[in-house]
Amino acid sequence: MSQSLRIENLHASVDGHEILKGLTLEVPKGQVHAIMGPNGSGKSTLSKVIAGHEDYTVTEGSVFLDDINLLDLEIDERSRAGFFLAFQYPHEIPGVSNANFIRAARQARLPKGQEIDAVAFYREMYAKMDELGMDRKFTARSVNEGFSGGEKKRNEILQMMMLEPKYAILDETDSGLDIDALKIVAQGVNAMRSPERGFLVITHYQRLLDYIVPDVVHVLHDGRIIHTGGKELAYELEEKGYDWIINEPVAA
Amino acid sequence: MVLTPPEETTTRPAASWCDAAPVNDADAGLPDWYLELRSAAWARYNALPVPTRTNQQWRFADLKHLRIDNHALPAPVSASVAADLVARAVSERPAEFAAHFVFANNRLLHAETPALPEGATCLPIEDALATRPDLLRAHFLKHGDFLGGEKFAALHAAATLSGLFVHFPKGRVAEAPVIVHHFIGGEGVAIFPHTLVVAEDHASVSVIDLFESINGKEDTLVVGMADLHADRGGRIQYTSLQDLNDKGAKHVQLQHTRAGRDAAVKVGYLNLGAEWVRNESINRMVESGADCQIFSANLANDVQEYDQRTLQSHEAQHTTSDLFFKNALYDRARTIFSGLIQVQPGSHHTDSYQTCRNLLGSDEAEANSMPGLEIDADQVKCSHGSTSGTISDEEIFYLRARGIPADEARKIISLGFLNESIEKLDGESVKEMLFARIARKFAAIG
Amino acid sequence: MPDSATLEAVNIDQDEGNFSYPEDYAHDAGYGLTEKTIDYISDIKGEAEWIREFRKRALKVFNDKPMPTHWASKDLENIVFENIRYYLSKGQRPTRSWDEVPDDVKATFERLGIPEKERKFLAGVEAQFDSEAAYSNVKEELTKEGVIFVNSTEGLREHPEVFRPWFGKVIPTGDNKFSALNSAVFSGGSFIYVPPGVKVKHPLQAYFRINAENFGQFERTLIIVDEGAEVTYMEGCTAPKFETATLHSAVVELVAMKDAKIQYITVQNWSNNVFNLVTKRGLAHENAEIRWIDCNIGSRLTMKYPGVIMKGRKARGEVISIALANDGQHQDTGAKMIHAADETTSNIVAKSISVGSGRSTYRGQVHIPKHLKGCKNNTECDALLINASSRTDTYPAITVRGNQHATQHEASVSQVSEEQIFYMKQRGLSEGEAMSLSVNGFVNDLVREFPMEYSVELKRLIDMEMEGSVG
Repeated sequence: MSQSLRIENLHASVDGHEILKGLTLEVPKGQVHAIMGPNGSGKSTLSKVIAGHEDYTVTEGSVFLDDINLLDLEIDERSRAGFFLAFQYPHEIPGVSNANFIRAARQARLPKGQEIDAVAFYREMYAKMDELGMDRKFTARSVNEGFSGGEKKRNEILQMMMLEPKYAILDETDSGLDIDALKIVAQGVNAMRSPERGFLVITHYQRLLDYIVPDVVHVLHDGRIIHTGGKELAYELEEKGYDWIINEPVAA
Repeated sequence: MVLTPPEETTTRPAASWCDAAPVNDADAGLPDWYLELRSAAWARYNALPVPTRTNQQWRFADLKHLRIDNHALPAPVSASVAADLVARAVSERPAEFAAHFVFANNRLLHAETPALPEGATCLPIEDALATRPDLLRAHFLKHGDFLGGEKFAALHAAATLSGLFVHFPKGRVAEAPVIVHHFIGGEGVAIFPHTLVVAEDHASVSVIDLFESINGKEDTLVVGMADLHADRGGRIQYTSLQDLNDKGAKHVQLQHTRAGRDAAVKVGYLNLGAEWVRNESINRMVESGADCQIFSANLANDVQEYDQRTLQSHEAQHTTSDLFFKNALYDRARTIFSGLIQVQPGSHHTDSYQTCRNLLGSDEAEANSMPGLEIDADQVKCSHGSTSGTISDEEIFYLRARGIPADEARKIISLGFLNESIEKLDGESVKEMLFARIARKFAAIG
Repeated sequence: MPDSATLEAVNIDQDEGNFSYPEDYAHDAGYGLTEKTIDYISDIKGEAEWIREFRKRALKVFNDKPMPTHWASKDLENIVFENIRYYLSKGQRPTRSWDEVPDDVKATFERLGIPEKERKFLAGVEAQFDSEAAYSNVKEELTKEGVIFVNSTEGLREHPEVFRPWFGKVIPTGDNKFSALNSAVFSGGSFIYVPPGVKVKHPLQAYFRINAENFGQFERTLIIVDEGAEVTYMEGCTAPKFETATLHSAVVELVAMKDAKIQYITVQNWSNNVFNLVTKRGLAHENAEIRWIDCNIGSRLTMKYPGVIMKGRKARGEVISIALANDGQHQDTGAKMIHAADETTSNIVAKSISVGSGRSTYRGQVHIPKHLKGCKNNTECDALLINASSRTDTYPAITVRGNQHATQHEASVSQVSEEQIFYMKQRGLSEGEAMSLSVNGFVNDLVREFPMEYSVELKRLIDMEMEGSVG
């Protein structure tokens, strides 16, 4: 039984334009992989396609979460199967309190008829909010509504901690974060690193990878992984840019 | 361009249109289609009922103002008056302008076109009928939809012959505005100025109609109409500045906008004079990307009644509109704002806003607001707001603390309140002119 | 995007009242409405002559008034007044004990949970079955304090000195065509009097049930709360779903004397063949407060604009309104606030949800006449559209005279966006759950205004029937 998030030869398009052109990548449990790449290389498309966004059409390829083919599942089934996406732009949900939302998501994971233990739930959530330096008032506020950029990203991590996925994609979680917020977010992610969990961190900047140190770094360009290396690759990219890889002949 | 000096026009005795259709001097030589259109309109006028109390489109209106059939067509002004009016109009206009026309009592007195782009047309309707009938006919008097003013529209169609036809072909742009003065004078007379503006693809033009009285105290009636057609990427700004005498003048202005693909139309109303005003503003966004913005500033005092009805009709996807109306009311003045945002079925991804704010400056002033929404599409962002209130003591206190006397402070705040909507129009010289007019009325009413 | 699953998901439980018992009426005024119908009703009730005259004058007004279709829905034209029965009863007298209620009537109310609610949290209950109350009871201690809680027939017969002075005064017969209709054929409803200083702690509840087809229910309610007294009144209603149109046309008048408080709560869940055309208005004297909390979920067409006339200084009026319009429904609701004294304040908060081809309309009137000081109105109305075919309209009218007032009106239309649903689904919620959470989030702040027991029920009503509807 394979224990990884496995993307094989993934092709996906939006409005007839192919964005992902045969992307292959495997994140084994216990590892953190990073994807870097210039603007427009398809980074955000990848996360949305895996989550099942209806704007994107998968034309070829597969995505396996352990032995489950995610592409066969609905958006919410993918989530309940253990896939989590920390959004680049988390959506606001007017009128729905953060606590209720997370609770509903947890409830959706329980067998029918089984109810959440409310006391334990709040205790756990408060503990995790403390870890992330989130004020308690965020439980009563509407999901992401009126949150600053940093608060939204923290809230994404809080949800991830509460839902305990098997694999998570962090889509440009560092964008719009100051260094202190970045450290806290990274702390949250690091606390969740375990042999039972895989992460794929999509980022534009090497900075994040100082705090969430990856095992493997991939370079995405024009819808394909064109280069893979260790964590030092991120520094190289920061220093030299992407052109030296892009201009390199693609490995057969 | 054929210009007829007023002295040479033959005059008919003014007659009330209770008995016969209003006709103009130059009927001879008008195209048949136009004469037919006119007689059909006359029949329509006679057939249409006068609005009654139960008519929702006249809700809150004082219907006594609708008694208009004792008016008649005016005689031309004398040569000396004409010279005075032209001089007055010339002195009031901004330094930069693309064209300037002066009409008085339905007749052209003056025309100047110093900065019209090549191929652009600015012709009095009467001349356009004679020389460019096909170009005119495509858009002239085509509308059947109004916001309650059907009877006025029919009368206008039966009688109009003055006003300007502005046609900007593809790509023609005028930076400076086209200015049109409409003067009216004589007890019991009526004029029917028409403004037709066509901006073809990516053309851009700004037109201002100024409505003014020749004499200070007279029962007069203006029933004007403005049609704005902006094709793909076209831009039109239309401004109606109404500064008629506030003792007896009535003004009905019926305006239509048709905004095509990516077209942008701005409409501005400034009402200062007249005893009774009815503005109807229909703005249709018929193709995607169209945008309409409608602004109004009204300063009403004494027993003035300003009645404004608007429609923002979204008839295609990805269309946007904004409406921002401001009323400052004093004495026993009344205002009525009735605005409707309609998002037609299938017009998804529409953004539409509407705001009406009333500043009441006396214990007897009355502001009526009816902001309406009818939404029948998906992914729509829509809102409206309406407030009525007065200047807060804190605001006055703040200004007084800076050494400004209370009365002056009140004036400054009210002026700023009205200027806010004028500010949204384009063209510094146009705005300057409007600001100056507002300031003039504030000075006059003390 | 919202697919059939969502539609089903947002579908509320309109079926809970969808059952009926065979007709077996001792009194049936027959089809159509003439003076004879009125004589029939008056005779059965053994009414005073002035009431019979009042009814007959009202019939004339009703016949003279045109349908208000120049502003209202043309659907009104589908009401065929000749095909409606205006009075049906089993000849029952309201009893104070459920044991004495006829079996099928009792079974009806038991099935709707009324006796249970009464035991749990109500101070008094009146249960009306078609034209007449079958059960009416109020806690003994309230009777001792002088609280009167009876139906309209009894109210006018036994306590004319209390009720007659205000009867038809807040809503005159000719207010509109349907208030005239009600005035002609009214039967049942609640007449309540609360003496000075008495604060009724628990709500009084009325439950209106239509059982018969081709029937019109015309209850009449008059609540008078004397100086410094307080009461909360709640009404619920259901009917079985018939193929033909059923008519419900009530008149509700509230009178709050100096310093009094009235809270009137409605959860309207008629089946969607019912035309629900109701006139509701309150008169608030000095420093009195009237709150209408109005929730409309059922019916085919509802037209209802609860109003408050603030007649005394510092009187307060409030309307909290929730409307849910599903396929084939039109919820035409709103509020009227008439300021008639200095320093009066009013507040309107209306939220509507349109689902499928449902249509919701807000109509509001705020009126501040001249020579008053310090009046305030705040109006907020928000509409949520669920599907591309859903529709919403907003038609407020605000008149302010004078420079010593402040009014503010805001309205917005929004949608549950696709991105919002995607976000929620990514967290593992089904489409139905995501929609449910969003919709409840939209009305949450208003649902909280209902008493606990009702807000739970309301949430359940608005909530989606998830079972089996979404995979």
